[in-house]
Amino acid sequence: MSLLAWCQWLEHSAPALAISESIWLFPFIEGSHILALPVSVGMIMLFDLRLLGLAFRGGAASSIVDEILRWSKFGFTVMFITGGLLFMSQAGKAYGNSFFRAKLIFLLMLGINAAVYQAVFYPKMAQWDSAGRAPFGARLCAALSLIVWIAVIVCGRTMAYQL
Amino acid sequence: MMAQLQALLQWTSESAPILFVRDSKYGMPAVQSFHLIGITVFLATIFVLALRLAGVGMMDWSLPSLQRQLRPWATAALTLVLLSGFLIFLGTPSKYLASNPFRFKMAVLGLAILFQFGVVRRVVRAETGSRLARRHLAVAGISLTLWFLVGWAGRAIAFVP
Repeated sequence: MSLLAWCQWLEHSAPALAISESIWLFPFIEGSHILALPVSVGMIMLFDLRLLGLAFRGGAASSIVDEILRWSKFGFTVMFITGGLLFMSQAGKAYGNSFFRAKLIFLLMLGINAAVYQAVFYPKMAQWDSAGRAPFGARLCAALSLIVWIAVIVCGRTMAYQL
Repeated sequence: MMAQLQALLQWTSESAPILFVRDSKYGMPAVQSFHLIGITVFLATIFVLALRLAGVGMMDWSLPSLQRQLRPWATAALTLVLLSGFLIFLGTPSKYLASNPFRFKMAVLGLAILFQFGVVRRVVRAETGSRLARRHLAVAGISLTLWFLVGWAGRAIAFVP
């Protein structure tokens, strides 16, 4: 089965139809997807700003990183579940949507970026934490994260105009 | 007075920049994206402050210093949200004025702003210790409820007349 055929099959599966045909289910899922943004992406953006030295200057980065990651995990869980359900209910249309494709590529980039940060810079945070300024690589990760998350939001909002 | 206000609104909403935003292919998605980026950052600052108020997160920071750190970003993000929101409104003012969720949203927005600058700010400044914990929890809960209600009402504009 081709990817397109699979997307079309998914869109016409019983749970997908239940979402798209319900007058309150789709708005509820979409609203949850959008209002989980601050608790997931927004938290990450605040942490990125700290790494760039633009917020929380008064304290060590490690004093906020664990908190931020803990709460953002909750947000990202809501994000992925609701996002998956929204995709399911419109899979066939989303397949051909260039903004949706771009969004997926950006999300993949963000995943790699976060993995690099986690593997390379996170373990050594205690060393550069009190120095005040994060290493160049960590700041690069933060800048990338900020820019690409903004691109994800733009793609997500714009794709809805074309479904 | 009301009639003049409506005429001014009508006149503004038919001006070239507003028509450009409303009718060009990517005008409205772009402004809506700015609105959403602002909401993401602004509500994140509200959420972080509420965590600290409720005593469940950011406990390494004192309330006043945390608020000082968040304030420039909260102000910038809220400004972006209000400006982009006003642009969206001016695209089709009559549609929004007739929308029940929109009216509800504006009412709750007013309350949320009053609560944030009246109550939350005062409580944050007056931090003195654990004695106030229960009141802090209530303030955090009300702040979060009001601001996220504004968001839900905004989403409802697209679905409810």
